Amino acid sequence: MLVYTVRRIIGAIPVLILASILTFVMIDVSGDPLAEVRMAQPPPSPEVLQQAEERLYLDRSMPERYWLWVTGIGGNGDIGLLQGEFGPSTQGPQYDIGSNIAERLWTTLRLIGAAMVFALGLAIISGVISALRQYSKLDYTLTFVGFLALAMPTFWFAGIMQAAGVKFNQLVGEQVFATIGDGRFRAQGEPLWDQFLNAFAHMALPTIVLMLISFASWSRYQRTSMLEVMNSDYVRLARAKGLRNHTVIRRHALRTALIPLTTVVAIGIAGIIDGAILTEVVFQWRGLGDFFITAVDNNDSYALMGWLLLSGVVVILANLIADLLYAVLDPRIRYE
Amino acid sequence: MTTEYMNEEHTAGADPEDVVLEVDHLSVTFPSDDGPLPAVREVSYRLRRGEALGIVGESGSGKSVTSMAIMGLLPKNAQVRGSARLMGQEIIGLSDKEISKVRGQKIAMIFQDPLTSLNPVYTIGYQIAEAVLAHKKVSKKAAMDRALELLEIVGIPSPQQRLKQYPHELSGGMRQRVVIAIAMANEPDVIIADEPTTALDVTVQAQVLDALQRARRETGAALVLITHDLGVVAGQVERVGVMYAGRIVEMGPVEEVFYRPRMPYALGLLGSLPRLDGDRSERLTPILGSPPSLRDLPVGCGFAPRCPLARERCHEEEPRLVLTNGDTDRAAAQEGDTTVHTAACHFSDELVGAEATDLFRPTAVDTEGVGSVEELETAESSVAEAREEYREESKAVSESATEGSTEPEVLLRATDLVKHFPIRSKGLLRRKVGEVQAVSGISLDLREKETLALVGESGCGKSTTARLLLNLIKLTSGEVSYMGRPLQGLSDRQMRPLRKDLQLVFQDPFASLDPRMTVSDIIAEPMRIHGRGNGDAKDRVKELLDLVGLNPEHGSRYPHEFSGGQRQRIGVARALSLNPKVLVLDEPVSALDVSIQAGVINLLEDLQEELGLSYLFVSHDLSVVKHIADRVAVMYLGKMVETATTEQLFSAPAHPYTQALISAIPLPDPVKERTRERIIVTGDIPSPANPPSGCRFRTRCPKFANVLSDAQRTKCVEEPPELMDRGTGHRDACHYSEVVELI
Repeated sequence: MLVYTVRRIIGAIPVLILASILTFVMIDVSGDPLAEVRMAQPPPSPEVLQQAEERLYLDRSMPERYWLWVTGIGGNGDIGLLQGEFGPSTQGPQYDIGSNIAERLWTTLRLIGAAMVFALGLAIISGVISALRQYSKLDYTLTFVGFLALAMPTFWFAGIMQAAGVKFNQLVGEQVFATIGDGRFRAQGEPLWDQFLNAFAHMALPTIVLMLISFASWSRYQRTSMLEVMNSDYVRLARAKGLRNHTVIRRHALRTALIPLTTVVAIGIAGIIDGAILTEVVFQWRGLGDFFITAVDNNDSYALMGWLLLSGVVVILANLIADLLYAVLDPRIRYE
Repeated sequence: MTTEYMNEEHTAGADPEDVVLEVDHLSVTFPSDDGPLPAVREVSYRLRRGEALGIVGESGSGKSVTSMAIMGLLPKNAQVRGSARLMGQEIIGLSDKEISKVRGQKIAMIFQDPLTSLNPVYTIGYQIAEAVLAHKKVSKKAAMDRALELLEIVGIPSPQQRLKQYPHELSGGMRQRVVIAIAMANEPDVIIADEPTTALDVTVQAQVLDALQRARRETGAALVLITHDLGVVAGQVERVGVMYAGRIVEMGPVEEVFYRPRMPYALGLLGSLPRLDGDRSERLTPILGSPPSLRDLPVGCGFAPRCPLARERCHEEEPRLVLTNGDTDRAAAQEGDTTVHTAACHFSDELVGAEATDLFRPTAVDTEGVGSVEELETAESSVAEAREEYREESKAVSESATEGSTEPEVLLRATDLVKHFPIRSKGLLRRKVGEVQAVSGISLDLREKETLALVGESGCGKSTTARLLLNLIKLTSGEVSYMGRPLQGLSDRQMRPLRKDLQLVFQDPFASLDPRMTVSDIIAEPMRIHGRGNGDAKDRVKELLDLVGLNPEHGSRYPHEFSGGQRQRIGVARALSLNPKVLVLDEPVSALDVSIQAGVINLLEDLQEELGLSYLFVSHDLSVVKHIADRVAVMYLGKMVETATTEQLFSAPAHPYTQALISAIPLPDPVKERTRERIIVTGDIPSPANPPSGCRFRTRCPKFANVLSDAQRTKCVEEPPELMDRGTGHRDACHYSEVVELI
């Protein structure tokens, strides 16, 4: 198991390097960070332009810049991922990309984490129920809900939920749901219960929006995988041993039916990050989604690179965790 | 074993107290979109304490469904009627709580496929202990100790280590023994074994059957052995029930049913079986047609449409299962008597002393499209006449031809064929970390108009050899030549004209035909590829369909409209469409039911005679091989261990592996099967990635283990034996070969 773990981690390194190259090249060729400055009226003086180019290292060749971006060697101390610096921003010399990302990371991870936990939990429960009651009314209802959720685009559903939240608040006459903002600075220093209430108010709607699509597809997977396992010979043998139905389902069916889900969830992470951007924009959270939009608006290539690389790292990490989890769940993998 | 069986037979009385399982008018119906499917109809039987009852039948006869119904393991939508009493307790329709007390405790079950019947994520020890803990309030430690004890009983080597292993680390035979251990964990009164050895190789089958007998001895459990293999039944049980179309059609002591069958189906089944103890020249007598669809069963006797004895009454009234002497009073009086012989046939009296050949004809046609037996007979006789003429002509020709030359021409010749498959590491670099030595130095000749059989257990390299001969995969080294022309190194394009002569028939008739093509298109495809698809291709397809015993008008149908046997005939027709000289048949009948298999075998024999074909017949089934082959080559772990004419090989096998193979095949004859000499092989086939040094068979060789001295053994370990001629072309690769008579 240890060998397997080490091998998997070592295997992730080349993928990471490749991801960094791709990230850099894609952003670098996609536009000139100084395009707006150059187009400004009246045109800026060549000195100013040259200064800006030097600040953003645009006077160097692309391979040089990549090397600089990763290592920071030969830079002004504001660049070099290995030194913890993400590079200069077009949004002014005061704008520190690293600290901005760090500040917003927590906000976004909170949303993604909550959405994943709920999506996964509900997907497993509804998948199992659907499988056990195959072709029952409950199964059909859950299937319908699933496909409905799959069919709704995130931005649209987010808008609907926001409007519904506002309506609900009006109806109750109290602000149960906060429909704007992430509420990070609202409850600091308050008692724990108030902090929880505040977090709930702000998180409930975005979490529902973000989890729904993942929930829908995962619950379908879980249903299929559960059905397959329920018809397997070893589940029949477990019954033939004289185990009670609930023991068979929990110990033999569910345990093995979870294995394929780990892969599906790991692959789904990228989609969730996607959804998080949209959700954050609609609910006006100051998270990484907002960071991304701002960076695009400002042609801020280093900020975009940082963001994209971070998403890449999250996806790679998630897959690494899934791989390791797979090995824990399935002994057949461990010994390969 | 024999004496024990005799004792049991004597002590077995009609005492109703002694009955552990009583199945009474059990019926199972599955609802479907096309109406109800009566899978099991009115099945009744009794099982005495410690008795072994066999249930035989072909696929779809309802034999498995019956036992699933007794265990309460059928899907919820199945409608089960009737009763099954286990030790007097009704077990049909129990709640989950009640039935789980019975299952595993009083009645246990063993399933067919050992590769899927253990949960891959738990250790062997855990899964056995789980069965103990389900019924006994003991500590986990005690349950594990019991698991260890059970593994020892079923004969698993180094059980202490096995306890901590996962199912995928064990071979199929070992896993099935683990399943047996689970079944006997709580000393049940009844063990139901559903095709327990069907998925296993014969030598492993012998080991598993042995473990099953040990489990019975240990627990005193009665056994219901469900199988399609009449040989297994003959050797393992005292009483046998034959199922057909959801009903038991004959039941009685195994000798009675095997030697004096009183239902045409049972008689036909025995007659359609190629036998190891039979004569090669005897033609098989298949049962025509295929089992009825459950969706629309015939009104009268379910077997009537295929029965040569069938009369009006058979089509009107379904026969009941009655005593074979017709004495119904006695039947009533001896309700609990389980020693009687019963049969469900209106005319069972006419079968006294009958042989299969009296009723069934050794035909090669199929009934597809023929309404009744009479019509069939006319259809068949016309085909037979045509064939007879053809045969006589060709015989005359071949006789005159063979007068001059003594040795028929060699068509395919293989010299020192070697095929290694690389094993690559899982990492990014995919380094080569070893190789599977699938074929290691095989040489063989296939002559004109002969059948050469390539025999061996799974993983011996026989299919790889067949593919190498057709140049379908690349050789590692060695030479293949067709009519003197080397095939290795030929490009696909250069190979194409030769492909016409070398055709292939596959094992699985369901997977080898494209479901989206009509039968005509399937058969015509090879002709199209070779530029003969136009003009008379249509006539040629009809001719071919007729040749393989199918209705020529059915070319526009799709494969799913045909039964397994018919599909295999279509596969043969496709292979014949280009007038090949050589047919490579890769397990052509192993996926078919016995009664249908016989027809295909007869067809292959006829075609060979008619068209002068050469067959390379790849098979694991020695009984079929004995019937069809002229010469046999036995393979073990990529090496040829013995080759001889069929006659020589079966009457005087010299290599210990051949002897073990022959002796492991159960004979469908209760007395012979129980009294014949056995050469038991231990263990599993070693991995071809790491074969043993010297003689590859030595790790399992009974001679190596029991007879040879240490000095002699050294030779086996160090020196790989060469194929040596023992006179008259009979060659074997054993340092200490010795002829033994086994059948």
